[in-house]
Amino acid sequence: MDAITDNIPALLHGIGTTCLLTILGYAFSLVFGTLLAVCRVSPIPPLRWAATVYVEIFRNMPMLSLLVLLAFGMPDAGLLLPLFWTGVLALVLSGSAFVCETVRSGINTVPIGHAEAARSIGLGFFGVLRFVVLPQAFRTMVQPLVNIFIGTVIGSSLCAAVAVPELTYQTQAINNQYAQAVLMFLFVGAVYLCLAFAGGLVGWLLERRLSPTRLLNRHTTRIGAGA
Amino acid sequence: MNPSTRPSRRALLGAAALLPVGAALAACSSSGSDAPAIGGSGGSDGGGGSNVGSDYDEIIAGGPVADDATVSGSEWAQGIKEAGKLKRGGTTTGQIFSLKDPSTGKVTGFDAGITQLLAQYILGKDSTEKIDYLDTTVETRETMLQNGTVDVVVATYSITAPRMEKVNFAGPYYSSGAAIQVRSDDDSITSVDDLKGKKITTESASTGYDAIMKHVPDAQDSDIQQFAENDQCIAALKQKRVDAYVLDQSILLSNAVADDSLKVVGEPFTKDPYGIGLSKDHEDSLDFVNGFLQKIYDDGTWAKLWKATIGQVVEGDTPAPPTIGDTAATE
Repeated sequence: MDAITDNIPALLHGIGTTCLLTILGYAFSLVFGTLLAVCRVSPIPPLRWAATVYVEIFRNMPMLSLLVLLAFGMPDAGLLLPLFWTGVLALVLSGSAFVCETVRSGINTVPIGHAEAARSIGLGFFGVLRFVVLPQAFRTMVQPLVNIFIGTVIGSSLCAAVAVPELTYQTQAINNQYAQAVLMFLFVGAVYLCLAFAGGLVGWLLERRLSPTRLLNRHTTRIGAGA
Repeated sequence: MNPSTRPSRRALLGAAALLPVGAALAACSSSGSDAPAIGGSGGSDGGGGSNVGSDYDEIIAGGPVADDATVSGSEWAQGIKEAGKLKRGGTTTGQIFSLKDPSTGKVTGFDAGITQLLAQYILGKDSTEKIDYLDTTVETRETMLQNGTVDVVVATYSITAPRMEKVNFAGPYYSSGAAIQVRSDDDSITSVDDLKGKKITTESASTGYDAIMKHVPDAQDSDIQQFAENDQCIAALKQKRVDAYVLDQSILLSNAVADDSLKVVGEPFTKDPYGIGLSKDHEDSLDFVNGFLQKIYDDGTWAKLWKATIGQVVEGDTPAPPTIGDTAATE
């Protein structure tokens, strides 16, 4: 247990860095991935092609290769990014490809008639997406997006390979001194489990809130109360 | 908005567009790894592709073989003899110490030599093929010894007090020391004191971190970047992510030999004994392996092996072998 109790500051710092990596990586993935999905369903062919190429590259490339490529390849191209931001960048590049496909498939679940109806009342391309398609699509995307969140949490551990001082990196460093691999990795496994589980919980709550029956119930109750 | 898709045409276009981008990425990656491939440094002949002297095989073949009584006197050694294989934990990607030539499958180096000599000592002549080289990492070494996945760990395995609680160490068979590597055009760092406030890299599986924390004045955790591979540490140094690279002197020297843009400054500032890791379940193995080491120390095989491996990059005379049981690291 010494290995853990003696190194609580380092481990907390590691957990903090992991959380920061995850949050930044996931947030940017959501934004960038949604934009990509918009490109993929847009009526402009070059945008569609560019987004497709992007997705096929970054969805099919192992995170670790991407990380090492960014960490050691970019400086040779003249761009020396701090290692932490290299980690965030890799998570975003990879995560946004998955978010894009999730959002796109979510959009495709909305019947085309809804979009046509929205357009017929005068909404433009973005208006249709913003007010009609995306709110409906989001409901079906909750669980896949939670999966991507968990993937981001777990994927952040790969940043240890390029010396981002996150949880796995700190654990490896501590283990090198204490020779307590089983204990340390049990501990780290539990921490990752908690982080991923918390994400899953949020997803579950969101899904419940957004479920059509619940929305309907709330609506009927309100009508009932008003009557 | 048109959510319906025409996948076949798009997929085709996507695939076509992917080709040049993939090629560009590949080009990018190759330029990213212009760190020296040290395996080829010593063997400019290309055939061997290894960094060991040409008499390496001869030295191994000339090593001692234990008589039957010695082997049967140790339950551990007898077990290995009956199995007909020595299972060694370590790495086959370590410069100078244990490097596998991908074209021949041959593993050479100082640690590899010690392993091959030990296999020959137990199993008899022509036993260098009877070794299972299993990969162990810093995370797995102790556990793999404890559960018997490997018989020995010979892997630049530094003897430290926490590790001695879990496994036995025969030896030390080599006493190493951490040194400093900098870029050739950097004259600001000449000793460990000059590392104060500098960014430093080291291999994550080494004792470099400890050496830095103990010897560099006011060393900060956040100033140290640990990478898994030597090549990555070199890249970080050359790309100016860090100002210095601290690791075992012999590895740094071989980097400097392979790459003009790197140099080693000063003398080693720690003493770091390497031992052969053994399971505590087989207490008899400790005496047996120590007996083996003493034999290769006495008959000069150890010195020849040193000369053919580490001696290829370290200048000066072959040192005297370390004293067995002298496990104290200078901290």
